[in-house]
Amino acid sequence: MHKVGIDLGSSYTKGVLVDTEGKIIDSYVVKTGFDFNKASQKIIDKFSESHKIEYPVYTCGYGREQLDLPTVTNSEITALAKAIYTMYKKNCSIIDIGGQDTKYVKITEAGIVEKFKVNRKCAAGTGSFLEEIAFRMDVPPSEFKEYAEQATDNIKINSYCTVFAVSEIIGLIKNGNKLPNIIHGIYNSIVDRCMEMSLIEHTLIITGGIPANHPMILTLFKKRYEDCVSPDQSQILAAWGCVLLNLNKTKS
Amino acid sequence: MNDIKKEPAKLNSVNDLRKTMDGYFGRLNEASLTGNKKIAWCTSVGPAEILYSMGFEVYFPENHGAMLGASKMADKYIPVAVAHGYSPDICSYLTTDIGAFLLNETPLQKSGFKSVPKPDILVYNTNQCKEVNDWFSFYARHFNVPILGIHTPLSLKELTPTIINNIAEQFKELIPELEKVSDQKFDIDKFRETVRLSHEGCVLWRKILETAKHKPSPINFFDSVIHMGPIVVMRGTQYAVDYYKILLAELEEKIKNNNSSIPNEQFRIYWDGMPLWYKLSSMSKLFANLDTCIVASTYCNSWIFDSLDPADPFMSSAYAYCALFIVRADDEKEKVLENLINDFSIDGIIYHDSKTCPRNSNNRFGLQTRLAVKTKIPYLEINGDLCDSRCYSEEQSIIAIETFIDQLAANA
Repeated sequence: MHKVGIDLGSSYTKGVLVDTEGKIIDSYVVKTGFDFNKASQKIIDKFSESHKIEYPVYTCGYGREQLDLPTVTNSEITALAKAIYTMYKKNCSIIDIGGQDTKYVKITEAGIVEKFKVNRKCAAGTGSFLEEIAFRMDVPPSEFKEYAEQATDNIKINSYCTVFAVSEIIGLIKNGNKLPNIIHGIYNSIVDRCMEMSLIEHTLIITGGIPANHPMILTLFKKRYEDCVSPDQSQILAAWGCVLLNLNKTKS
Repeated sequence: MNDIKKEPAKLNSVNDLRKTMDGYFGRLNEASLTGNKKIAWCTSVGPAEILYSMGFEVYFPENHGAMLGASKMADKYIPVAVAHGYSPDICSYLTTDIGAFLLNETPLQKSGFKSVPKPDILVYNTNQCKEVNDWFSFYARHFNVPILGIHTPLSLKELTPTIINNIAEQFKELIPELEKVSDQKFDIDKFRETVRLSHEGCVLWRKILETAKHKPSPINFFDSVIHMGPIVVMRGTQYAVDYYKILLAELEEKIKNNNSSIPNEQFRIYWDGMPLWYKLSSMSKLFANLDTCIVASTYCNSWIFDSLDPADPFMSSAYAYCALFIVRADDEKEKVLENLINDFSIDGIIYHDSKTCPRNSNNRFGLQTRLAVKTKIPYLEINGDLCDSRCYSEEQSIIAIETFIDQLAANA
């Protein structure tokens, strides 16, 4: 029997299949859409093709309480911290950039959450911000990396508000700034918004779907804070953490 | 989806509370319909005692703002005020109240009022914020009635004799206009008696809030914000005193029987800042399900004026209304919070950063980090607003609150 962790995020639903020792056997990411049950079922179906699944499933994220399945719900922040501590086993700061939220988490040497923060009301610095900008500029987010690598200038985009940032970008375009420099500036603004959330201490670990899909963000974090890493599969860590938080409980 | 839902215990005194509040609104409505008494509008931590002593019925627009917020009507009214030139960034009690007034809508209409009771005079104190002056000025212009104000300096570190004397003088300067409007001579003995009743009510209110020192607590924040009604609007009357004797007796009985407000109290929280009026019920259940009791708050403590003294009514009123938490400098606030953390065995603090109430959001100048370093008590900041639900991201806040309780559990 294998355990399943599901992180039902605003943009993507992330699932992990975990063995009884807590090791990840498989993972699967689907678009959330507007039906949390449908998204989760796709994950369950995929895992069920090859493995027998144990219930309840362990959930976190916006849709954690919406499933028609037996579930044990968790905080995605506690779950993420658990996963990161399981991997690194040391005190660290985490910045997680998701579709709707940016989170800062500080964990102690013993793996306990000492402090955390989520982004304020606006979306600047989150995945929604990137999607909105991509839509406005008519450039698919998947092409951002290519453009940003060609940047020759360090443009600053200061607005906290996504709508104002779009206006700011229109101003930049009007003033003749090139697209690669603007996209580089957009990445920079995400990093700026994250770095001002709190004082960073110890190793900074970058997680979430946005840095996973936009690796230049990690490069820009490293320019500001040298001791900075991003684990592989960082998008699925909270889902994994959900299972890890409950592993010993179910064993007993 | 699979969790057992827990509910906080209900207080039986709520029936007496309803009668007490109905009586208050009944007296106001009678004054409004018959003119048997003059009506003064007053800010919630304004000079209610002097007004009651001179025979006014006293109406509190902030209480009305809270009613509109709790009835989830603010989002309808704020845009009306905004369209009339009021910024959505200013006090949402103000914008909600003025917006509702412009549409001639009030929950009081369900209790037989035609509209909010027309004022004969408006009296404010800027001890809580300066926006009350602008708020009351709207009504002074509309009704063409006198407006009086006590202008209290803010961010006070020490309450020096100069400051207190000045405020006491400002209290005295209200009298000639109040005499004119009320058609009554000011009577120092009546004022002393009102101050005595206000003091008695405040002492009872303090005792009520302090029952939450008991583990487990018989009362939580979501009860207190409802049961504080009489100390806000009937401070200085026998009605408030009578009601709080009933409530205190119930809470003492609950302590004797070890009956808790939260079914399985594990964590004790201090709430700083305003309530989110439109979320009282869901938040109350959220915390109950997290085995967490909010046992103390800046907000409910704001109506403890126990330095009022009938022997020296002007000076003690001046002192009491300056000693208030919201009037003080951050250094003084820190001391108050530190004591409350100890007295109420607090495990964690939640700071509600209320978008339109900067004066009552105490996490904007680093107080929260200084206090955490000093006390080692963890804290959480949530963004929201007292009335404007558009400033609140519920899902994000629930996740943050759940994580915070996980954090407290891990530290326990």
